[in-house]
Amino acid sequence: MSIIQRSQQWGTFARIWHLYDAKWQDPYLSAERIKMYLMGLYKPIYHPLNDCGDHVVVINSYDIALRGDEWRRRAYFHHTGYHGGASWTMAWEVHKKNPTMIMNKAVYKSMKGNLQRRYSMQRLHIFKDENVPENIMQNISNQIKQLRPVPLRLDEIPPQEVAEFPKLVKYPENYIAQ
Amino acid sequence: MAALCRLTVQASKAIFFPQSSRNVSLSAVSRLKEIREKKEGNTLIISGEFVKPKDEHLQIKNNTTACPLCATGLDVKHTDVLILSQFLRSDGCMLPRRITNLCKVQQKRVSVMVAMAQKAGLMPNLNPPSSKKDPKRRYGYKKYNTYFDEATIQWKL
Repeated sequence: MSIIQRSQQWGTFARIWHLYDAKWQDPYLSAERIKMYLMGLYKPIYHPLNDCGDHVVVINSYDIALRGDEWRRRAYFHHTGYHGGASWTMAWEVHKKNPTMIMNKAVYKSMKGNLQRRYSMQRLHIFKDENVPENIMQNISNQIKQLRPVPLRLDEIPPQEVAEFPKLVKYPENYIAQ
Repeated sequence: MAALCRLTVQASKAIFFPQSSRNVSLSAVSRLKEIREKKEGNTLIISGEFVKPKDEHLQIKNNTTACPLCATGLDVKHTDVLILSQFLRSDGCMLPRRITNLCKVQQKRVSVMVAMAQKAGLMPNLNPPSSKKDPKRRYGYKKYNTYFDEATIQWKL
C-alpha cells in the first residue's frame, strides 16, 4: 500500500472534528446542517450500518437567534410521570436555565429516532461560549460555515464609515434634522 | 478663569468690531441659513441664504420618477442598519413620507424593517434616552438574539 493510499484510507475512516459557531444562528436550521456531519451523511462511504459519523463542537450556544417571537411562543414540554405533572416552559426560560439545551434538543429532534441517535448525540459537544477545553480544541480540523452572517450593530460600526455611507434621503432645504 | 478670559475677549471684540460678533443668538441655532454680506459700490446687501449640506457629494442621484429606494433596486434586509438608520430620527422614530420621499409600499416596508432591527437590538444608539442601550440588559425574553424573515412583511413590492 503506497503512502497516498494509506493516507486516503486514514482520511476516509478517521473521525473528523468540526467546529460550528452558533452566534446569531437559528438552532433548528443549524441542526439540519450539524446532523449531516454527526451522522456522516456527507461522506460517499455512508451507510446506516457504517459507523462513520464525525464529532461536532458547537460554540456560543448562548448567542443563538430564534426567529420572530419564538422565544416566547415556542414551548418545551415535560412530564414528571405523576398526575398533573405536565409542564410547558417557554424557550427563553429554558435558555435562561441552560444555554445549551435548545441547541441540544434541536439536533436530537432533527435525527430519526433509531438506535444510532444516542450514539450520534454523544459526538456532539455544545459550549455556551468560546471557552472550549484545550483537549477538545486541538482535535478540530474543520469549521462548518454559518447559515446566516452575523449582523452588524450600528453602534459598533466606525462613525467614519457611517458618515461616508451613500445617502438615500435628501432632506428638504428648510428641514431641521433632530 | 479661561471662560472669564474668553468672555472679556469676546466682549471687547463686540465693542471694537461690531460686525464680527455673531456668537450670541436668542433662538435655537440650526445652521440652515447663513448671513452673507455683499458690497456693491455704496450699497451693502445683507442676505440670508441656505447653506449646502456637507454630505451633498454622498447623495445618490435619482433621475427617475421612482422613489429613492425603488430607483436603487436594492433588496433591503432588516440587518442593513446603515440604510435603515437614514430614515430615522435620533430617537429611533420613523421620518414621515413628506421627508423620506418614499413610495407608500416602501415607507411601510422600511418602517416594519426598522421595528425588526430595533427588536433585534441592531440600532441601540438610535433609541429614546430612557432605553437600555445594551440589548443584553433588556428584560426577560427580549435580551436574547432574535432574527426576522422579510417574507413575513405584509407589504410586498
